[in-house]
Amino acid sequence: MSMKHTELTDDLQERASLYAAGAMTDSERLEYARHLDEDQCVVCQAEVKELQSAISLLAFTVPSSSPSPTVKVRLMEQARHAVPVIQPRPPGFRWLQWATAVIALASVVAALSLMRTNSELRREADALKSRIARLEVQLVEQQDTIATLTSVGVRVVDLAGQGASMQASGRIFWDQQRKRWLFSVRNLPPAPADKSYQLWFVPKQGNPISARVFNTEADGSVSVEVPVPDNATDLKAAAVTTEPLGGQPQPTGPFALLGAM
Amino acid sequence: MFVGMAEDDRTEQQDRECIRRMASKDANALDAFYTRYNRLAFSLVLRIVGNREDAEDVLTDVFWQVWQQSSRYDASRGKPVAWLLTIARTRAIDRLRSTSRHEVSTDDPDKHRDPPTAPTEPDPFVQTDTREAVHQALQSLQEQQRIPLEMAYFQGMSHTEIAAALGQPLGTVKDRIRTGMMHLRKRLRPYL
Repeated sequence: MSMKHTELTDDLQERASLYAAGAMTDSERLEYARHLDEDQCVVCQAEVKELQSAISLLAFTVPSSSPSPTVKVRLMEQARHAVPVIQPRPPGFRWLQWATAVIALASVVAALSLMRTNSELRREADALKSRIARLEVQLVEQQDTIATLTSVGVRVVDLAGQGASMQASGRIFWDQQRKRWLFSVRNLPPAPADKSYQLWFVPKQGNPISARVFNTEADGSVSVEVPVPDNATDLKAAAVTTEPLGGQPQPTGPFALLGAM
Repeated sequence: MFVGMAEDDRTEQQDRECIRRMASKDANALDAFYTRYNRLAFSLVLRIVGNREDAEDVLTDVFWQVWQQSSRYDASRGKPVAWLLTIARTRAIDRLRSTSRHEVSTDDPDKHRDPPTAPTEPDPFVQTDTREAVHQALQSLQEQQRIPLEMAYFQGMSHTEIAAALGQPLGTVKDRIRTGMMHLRKRLRPYL
């Protein structure tokens, strides 16, 4: 596998999946890691990056526990005492050794300058390939969004500003087939540093269900995609409240936006 | 066009800044990074190694590795939290193997079929909607995809070990892991 790939095949996707999930054998893992690092294969690197990000989210499903405070104490002690070690200069380090060192350094600099142009070109080519891969992903996402906005049966729900946020407005495109909301907000100033906005599914019966904790950009806008869980289909409203930083299990703060279904 | 969450972006920027400062050996940055993520990383390590003593040892190693390797962090390879969790998972699996507690289960595959339980202590640095979205994504996987994924990720089992444990052909196991990963990525794309 000592080569750079130009496109993602099913086989490459399978290898990236096994690597990211940690399901390769030791020898496979070593060989694949070498492929990623030494071959600098941007196709496989991009795939592994996304899949590792996805699988690492499984950590969020584990019951939360705290380590003992001594772990932090130990770690910080270790970090604060790990100062760089300065080697004492060996005795007898004379002018001949200096001259030898300077000549060796000059040789290395000359060799590096010869290699530089070639490696710069290689880096530029890699950067371009990486950019193309990112643009392809963006294109697929944009096509996906357009498909939602134009699909049959999409519901549009408008949200009006409430209280101190009267000037704000929001709109939800509810793709009922694919069970997701495309939610956008305008004119809602960013929440204070210790607060977050929280979007809620408000069912006809039962308690509100958290849909997303978010903040707006400096211009008061944001657009997000929100998966709609199976228990949030019979809704009477959508709401946005202002909550303590990170959100709450149930709404506690004032309404910023509200819209009936 | 629809973009990532401003909140997530802000956290990611703060994390990158922490790593940049750690590379300059600013211990306060390590303190801040540890404060934000120690519970998340510890919970994952504890889930894998199974006892607190080993988990705390591994957690120290994990953050020490982050501190030592912060100058080599490559932002193009993913978010800082994904980098941290990858290190945490790898070190935990190494510990599991070195303590010989890693036994391939061939007798009771049902024990892998219980979905993860609810959090016992809410982590103020983990957004509840992220946790819910990941739970939903995992539960939306078919059982035949979820089980091998969890066996690989949480128990460090290779595809050959999983195939033997479940009594399934190797090709089937590989394909189910791939399909499961594709599904997870699709469901969790807003959080990547």
